[in-house]
Amino acid sequence: MKHRKWWHSLLLYTVVIVWSFIVLFPFYWLLTTSLKKPLAVARGPRYIPFVDFNPTTEHWQYLFDEQGETTLRHFRNSVIAASGSTVFSVLIGSMAGYGLSRFRYRWKFPPWRNNDIAFWIISQRFLPPALFVVPFLMIYSALGLVDTHAGLIIAYTMFNVPFAVWIMRDFFDNLPTDLEDSARVDGATRWQAFVRIVLPLSAPGLVSVAIFSFVFSWNEFLYALMLTNFDAITLPVFIAGQNNTRGVQWWYISALTLTAVAPVVLIGLLLERFITSGLIAGAVKG
Amino acid sequence: MKQVFLTPAVAVLLLLSIFPLFWSLGISFTDVQRGSAAATTTTDDGTVVEDSGFLGLGFHATLRNYARMPEDERLLTAARNTLFYVLAGVTIQYIIGFGLALVLHQPFRGRNIIRVIFLMPMMMTPVAVAYTGRMMFDTSIAPLAQLLRTISHTLGLERPLFIPWLTDGSVAPWTIVLIDSWQWIPFMTLILLAGMQAIPEDIYEAARVDGASSWQILRKITFPILLPISATVILIRGLEIFKIIDVIVVTTGGGPGSATESLTMYIFKTALTFGNYGYAAAISYILLILVIIFATIFLAAMRYLTPRTSG
Repeated sequence: MKHRKWWHSLLLYTVVIVWSFIVLFPFYWLLTTSLKKPLAVARGPRYIPFVDFNPTTEHWQYLFDEQGETTLRHFRNSVIAASGSTVFSVLIGSMAGYGLSRFRYRWKFPPWRNNDIAFWIISQRFLPPALFVVPFLMIYSALGLVDTHAGLIIAYTMFNVPFAVWIMRDFFDNLPTDLEDSARVDGATRWQAFVRIVLPLSAPGLVSVAIFSFVFSWNEFLYALMLTNFDAITLPVFIAGQNNTRGVQWWYISALTLTAVAPVVLIGLLLERFITSGLIAGAVKG
Repeated sequence: MKQVFLTPAVAVLLLLSIFPLFWSLGISFTDVQRGSAAATTTTDDGTVVEDSGFLGLGFHATLRNYARMPEDERLLTAARNTLFYVLAGVTIQYIIGFGLALVLHQPFRGRNIIRVIFLMPMMMTPVAVAYTGRMMFDTSIAPLAQLLRTISHTLGLERPLFIPWLTDGSVAPWTIVLIDSWQWIPFMTLILLAGMQAIPEDIYEAARVDGASSWQILRKITFPILLPISATVILIRGLEIFKIIDVIVVTTGGGPGSATESLTMYIFKTALTFGNYGYAAAISYILLILVIIFATIFLAAMRYLTPRTSG
């Protein structure tokens, strides 16, 4: 093994420490701000609890006790919209991914084969959502879908499906076909082989797709802002709305922000390898 | 049978993407307003007359939405801002992301936990990132502001260092890019790191045997091999930044004036605040054209950079 020069190591650790600080400090600041009394926030930065300010849990109590109904409603809306669209995206995405990986399609109009179809599908993911602002507003109000969970689930599914197809197609391409082949020799239909043999083997790919769909829907802002106005408002829109009420109340915003961020950051910390593999399937194979 | 697998995805996209796309294109050639049931025409003497409109559909077909664009200062500003966010954003994120990937590629103790920590911002809700950024760049209560005050005090400056992060039209776009970068540099790092780990070790060994320095290895081996994947991540990030709205809504609301407004935000305001559906749809097509130009350039670059394989 080669030995690193000392300045090489110094540089390495400096970068790692500086960047970790840049990443972690805002999280620390959110946490401490959510525990500060309004005065401790207003009187310039206070850094360490018990040393230069007295922590209080009153803002957390306010959010989850006094105002608990409202907070939990938005939290629930986010959970429903995100998990609903995740279920559909995983289902539709894995089916199409399997199809594109195992069969040869030949469309007459437009005259496309598998690769063209796959490219068309992924290209939908990159269309600017602003294009859909007007049609979705008009169609949704005509169909009565504004401010409903179903409306959000439908819109998010449309955005999640392309990426789901892309990841699952890549996953199935790398999955050996022996087991499903022998199942079919034993008389199973394609569909049975897909449901009983292929899907159980695809857990890592499905988990990747589920994480991406969930996190995207959980974090989405434009559609939620446009298509909800009271009942179905999700956490991001609720947080953004804190802007105008009574000036900027940093202590509530910090607590709310941590509430909105905690589930997805936890998912990220626990399932890091699925995210990496999904991203790589999405980006490298492109 | 094989159609069963593909049809749901294609149906979803046709129904929810292609159909609205054409709908939107149609709307962009009309004067449809929110809630308007009947078409109106303003006659020469200024009175407003109700009529049946285009084919009796309650609106008029018009080219005015496109014709008025060159005179719309606010639109031009929004387009310029959006291009700025994309170019400044991908540049900063790519350079820092590449640097961090190089660091994470080195073996050192605690590398796995550091990798996970570096990933955290990417998972956050952009709205939350924006509020956090606003808090970090606040000019009175933020640690950064205090740091600047302390520095000016120590140096005995007559005019204390003061950066109007979000309130000055020439600084605020940079601050927004910084906030977006904090969130998305990990994405660049993660994928470039995966690319680096896929480079076979014997290429490096051979270079070292030939006496190449680390800098030469980076410049002549690592960087060129990563070019195609670099083009891909820049393309993906660029396309994502074209959509930017959440960070701006929360930090500056598009201000001061419309100095930080992006196209997506202007479209949103035109449709929801002003209720002018026709114009909003027309602008969204301008955004689409910008996106297509950007993507075409990058796809061409990728094709040029990717080593040709047989078949």
